[in-house]
Amino acid sequence: MNLRVIPEGRFVRLLMSGCEAIDSVNAAAVKAEALRLLGDARDVAVDLSEIEFIDSAGIGVLVALFKNSRLKGGRARFCGLRPGVRSVLEIIRLDQIFEIYDDVAAAVRS
Amino acid sequence: MKARAHHDAGADVPDLAELCRIHEIGIDLIGRSHDVDELLDRVLEEYEKRLSELPSDALDARSDAKQPGSLQKLRALVMFATQASALREKAVAASELKRRASMLEDANVRLKAALEEAEHARGRLDGVLAALSSGVMLRGADGTFLRANTAARGLVGEDDDPVLTRLIASGVPKDGEAEIDLETASGRRTLLIARRAMAKDAGSEVILVTDVTQRNRAMEERVRLEKLAEVLKTLSVLSHKINNPLTALLGRAQMLQLHKGADPNVAKAAAVIEESSLRIAELIRELAQVVKDGRQDALDDLLDMNFRVAGGERS
Repeated sequence: MNLRVIPEGRFVRLLMSGCEAIDSVNAAAVKAEALRLLGDARDVAVDLSEIEFIDSAGIGVLVALFKNSRLKGGRARFCGLRPGVRSVLEIIRLDQIFEIYDDVAAAVRS
Repeated sequence: MKARAHHDAGADVPDLAELCRIHEIGIDLIGRSHDVDELLDRVLEEYEKRLSELPSDALDARSDAKQPGSLQKLRALVMFATQASALREKAVAASELKRRASMLEDANVRLKAALEEAEHARGRLDGVLAALSSGVMLRGADGTFLRANTAARGLVGEDDDPVLTRLIASGVPKDGEAEIDLETASGRRTLLIARRAMAKDAGSEVILVTDVTQRNRAMEERVRLEKLAEVLKTLSVLSHKINNPLTALLGRAQMLQLHKGADPNVAKAAAVIEESSLRIAELIRELAQVVKDGRQDALDDLLDMNFRVAGGERS
């Protein structure tokens, strides 16, 4: 999994690429690397457009990113969700808690 | 509490209480919270905890061979999430209610402060009204009597409303004034000038009442004094003009009396002329004193006395 942070106005875009899944195999590493890269960034747009599959461990990573922004007084927004990822969030009702946008532009604009 | 499982979670899902017991889901924990941020933090904590306990394939639709208990744990999480969402909505609503209650409280505080300020303003207005020498009466937009200051009560009596009605009925025009000869309940007659000022924006009116009885008396006194001054001035001039020939007349009369060998009748007549001249001189001296004093009563006394001496009657 390759993680990159790209400034997008007051937001930092966290792009996950190189692997189409966040699961129990890579969740711990993805979480640690993402938090390291984000550093003090408060407002984050998590770009999931290249993620096809996510399991409970992957969802735990998203929850951790969401909490990380909240602890810093910022906001985490999730964008570019593919149907498989979106349905998992809907199943466990996190779609009602997370801020979800169609794409990065919409996430950083609102 | 026995809560039924949500239908989305499947027909064979045990009830919520059972799920909570099995998985130690802290519904009560979040149920007690009415702070949205606090609630969200707790929900997220529970999510992290529940997700970490789930088998990795629990959310994997592609996996057919789930570990025993995976389905039940997944359903418990879904149930938890459903309840958490409902509670979060409830917390949001409670937060909104709290915010509105706070706004209402703020508005209440501001209203109370405004009422206190209005009360203070009313107190100041009462102070100003009490200090005015003119009578002031206030009438509301609906025509009802509102208040009168002390001076107004002194002028028209305590029975304000009927007096006010009578004042207006007396023909005081709106935004105008009129002179009114008012007889109060106590029988006292007072000459008033009433002025109606319409407060257009407020729809109410202010009626100013001024007692002109004293003013009219003062005007009459001024006219009387002016007339007195005029009379005294005339007397002064006349006294001066009479005094010169009188001096000559007196001198000649005295000369005739001093002339030796004069006719006794002439001497007698001269004595009468001298005596009369001295009386005139005394009268002129008294007039001069009256003119100097400038008092009406002294003039009246002088005229009255001399009139009586002369045997006349005053009209």
